[in-house]
Amino acid sequence: MASINKPLEEYDSVKTWYRGLREQSGVEPNEDESRLELLREFCATLELDPDEIVAACLLRKEGKATKISIKGRRSMAERIADFQAGGGAEGRERAKRGNTIRSFLIHNGILLQSGVQI
Amino acid sequence: MEFKEVVGRRRSIRYFQSWRNVEREKIQIMLEAARLASCAVNATFLKAIVVSRDNIPRETLDALKTPVSGLNIELAPVHIYTYADMGAYKGAQARLKKLVDVGALNVTHGWSHKFVDEFVWPNILKPLAEGANQPSVAAAAASDAGIAICQAMLAAVDEGLGVCLSAFQREAINKVVKAPKDWIPLWVLLVGYPAESWEAGGQRPRPPLEEIFFEGEFGKPFKSDPKVTEQMKAAKMIQAQAPLPWRKEEIKALARMFGLPE
Repeated sequence: MASINKPLEEYDSVKTWYRGLREQSGVEPNEDESRLELLREFCATLELDPDEIVAACLLRKEGKATKISIKGRRSMAERIADFQAGGGAEGRERAKRGNTIRSFLIHNGILLQSGVQI
Repeated sequence: MEFKEVVGRRRSIRYFQSWRNVEREKIQIMLEAARLASCAVNATFLKAIVVSRDNIPRETLDALKTPVSGLNIELAPVHIYTYADMGAYKGAQARLKKLVDVGALNVTHGWSHKFVDEFVWPNILKPLAEGANQPSVAAAAASDAGIAICQAMLAAVDEGLGVCLSAFQREAINKVVKAPKDWIPLWVLLVGYPAESWEAGGQRPRPPLEEIFFEGEFGKPFKSDPKVTEQMKAAKMIQAQAPLPWRKEEIKALARMFGLPE
């Protein structure tokens, strides 16, 4: 079990996420504090830090190019769906729980799709 | 719409009005445009099956998504599953003779029934028909099918629709469409009214003409004439390049509308 031993913003994966939000999505991440809160909650649920969450979706073998792990990605998508369903939120707030984590992983290079959640 | 503007307006649309169906007559116009496309030996290599998304069982819809195509497949109300029919060489002998009869293939170019029966069919087409699994045969069929698909796409744009080609899982959709086994799956052509603006952020970046087309021999660029370029801009064939200044805001709005990640 990993513990979060520094501010979330100091993890490389969170820096990458914030940079992606600013540069690709045109979103200022600091304008919505709930982003980090949701990521913190997800980390606690999985007992992983943000970098470990990204690593869990990857397949790293020495001397070979890093790949996205089919199993790891699928498993993470299921964990996100469970996380979204929990927390008692409904409607858009419920979608936001899952999409925040998806956004974190997408900006870290892990392709995920949420499907339409109107 | 003028032809050049249709070419200029076509984009891969990835956000559809999922709730709005497409008029059947517009689909017929697309299919007719595909049917009239240029094709070798007058063989219609392209075969297609039109399916309304809402008639696809939920389980099948989920199963036919690839990691990158899932959302597109879900949003588009009409799916056209396209295939290259490797059996299309069969009957080419009779079709070629018909082209002779109707004055498309003429003596001026050396064509006759005898040439078709005694040379073209036994030496060229029959071996192709019998060796349909050869990569070169499949490539030729896929090329012709692509031309036909392109015409359908342009017809759709002319009708105010949005289109996008996506990969699909053949086995999953085959439970619904029951395509013959010797049809090679190509793409699913997704059709619907765009939920994004028709500009879809602007014309996609492409390499300059000189980088990909040559004159006389490889390495000598086909130089474009700036005056002609200006004419194409005036005809709306060449349009403002992506990204248009408001694109990020548009994507944010679409993400919020459909409940998608940012």
